[in-house]
Amino acid sequence: MKSARVLLAVAGNSFYESVRHRFFLLFAVFAFTAIYASVLAGVMAVDQEARVLADFGLALMELTALAYALFTASSVLLREAETKTIYLVFSRPVPRWAYLGGKLAGALLTAALMLLVMGGMHLALLALRGFGAPACYGWAVLGSFLKLSVITSAAFFVSLFSTSAVSTMVISGVLWTAGHFVSEARFLADKAHGVSAAALKGAMLLIPNLQLFNARDAAGAACALPPAAFAAAAAWTLGACLAALWLLSRKEF
Amino acid sequence: MSAHAVSFSAVEKTYKRPGFLGASYTTAVKDLSFEIPAGEITGLLGLNGAGKTTIMKLLTGLIFPSAGKVKVFGHAPTEGAAKARVGFLPELPYFPPHLKPAEALAYYGRLSGLAGPALAQAVRAAMDRTGLEPHAGKRVSEFSKGMLQRLGLAQALLHDPDLLVLDEPVSGLDPLAIHDIRGLLAGLNAEGRAVFLSSHSISEVEKLCSRVLIMVKGRLAVVVKRAQWEAAPGGLETIFVEAVR
Repeated sequence: MKSARVLLAVAGNSFYESVRHRFFLLFAVFAFTAIYASVLAGVMAVDQEARVLADFGLALMELTALAYALFTASSVLLREAETKTIYLVFSRPVPRWAYLGGKLAGALLTAALMLLVMGGMHLALLALRGFGAPACYGWAVLGSFLKLSVITSAAFFVSLFSTSAVSTMVISGVLWTAGHFVSEARFLADKAHGVSAAALKGAMLLIPNLQLFNARDAAGAACALPPAAFAAAAAWTLGACLAALWLLSRKEF
Repeated sequence: MSAHAVSFSAVEKTYKRPGFLGASYTTAVKDLSFEIPAGEITGLLGLNGAGKTTIMKLLTGLIFPSAGKVKVFGHAPTEGAAKARVGFLPELPYFPPHLKPAEALAYYGRLSGLAGPALAQAVRAAMDRTGLEPHAGKRVSEFSKGMLQRLGLAQALLHDPDLLVLDEPVSGLDPLAIHDIRGLLAGLNAEGRAVFLSSHSISEVEKLCSRVLIMVKGRLAVVVKRAQWEAAPGGLETIFVEAVR
């Protein structure tokens, strides 16, 4: 019970720090500009305007939230160690799992807020152009959030052995990109032979399949994310958190 | 209750630094054995690199010994039961500059397991105790070094610890702030709390402590009691200089 309260305190503090951080404002301005640019791009798409507006806007929302989540996940532990704030935390009866869980929850709460705010802006801009909410919109935003939870927890894990925030962001960014090409990698692995096939298959075990969370890739009612997608997101997030906890429990400050 | 707040038994700490051509190892403290009696003020003196901060971190569970045992009130320093009884002030503590002191303290109070009216009461008491009450409306960014140190002490006092571990508590403070902090620590000790403080200021240690540990190159060179340095010509300073030369 006490540990759960500690987790909530860390999460609340992390969320508050993120929301009042100037970077959050910068990202909000960027998101607004980018989504507005998508409206301009949509105008140029002529008969496909609604689809371009929806897809371009959703992609920008996901990328913006991803950039913020990666920035937070890669720098938060490093910053707390550099400012020695971590001394005031871990010299108290704060279980390391509660600290890690709180930091992740705070980052995800911030990412969820960003997605909600940007989603609101996006829908408002669509309405301004005379379009309603695109099909599967809610599922698409939820899919983006699931991707963020997987990648953010992976970024926390990487930040615990990486030498700088930049290298954490690069590694996590590569993981995010590779996660969108898992089917292609699987196809290549099936075609390859010998060592390259084994290497590709081995790499695929370490790369989360983020295509599972792309709701708008499926047509019509099938865009609803299947339970397997939620299970996969939970498994990847939990796996990355446990790996991060293993490193954090051995880390000295 | 253990008669000793802290005990170190044959403790060694070696830091490993990974490098391109293999790891390098630095031994910070070696073969270290001592006790800190409950209810006393114990000082820790030593030159830079003597191992003072390593000792502070070992007993607050921030780092782990490479060999030997550290016990805090009979528990390993990493256990919650030990941490719940220790208040730690690191050297030059940092607080988010936009926060007011009560907000910063409330966060650390929650981390110490406090909630509701008990948390509000603990924050009020810690601010009152450290003289921060008149500055309650200011933000941390407006604080002087002395006020930051008071805030650091306040966060260490929130959960009513039995042992205060203070790393350079008067470092960089003006004489008035040093006087105030000294009075505060003496008052806390009078309530029965043990205080373990490291310092470069021999005169401060001399005024406050009943026992002093002198570290030389990672080893405990001398343990001196107040009666010993009061009887020695030149006082604690002479004993320290002889030990470190």
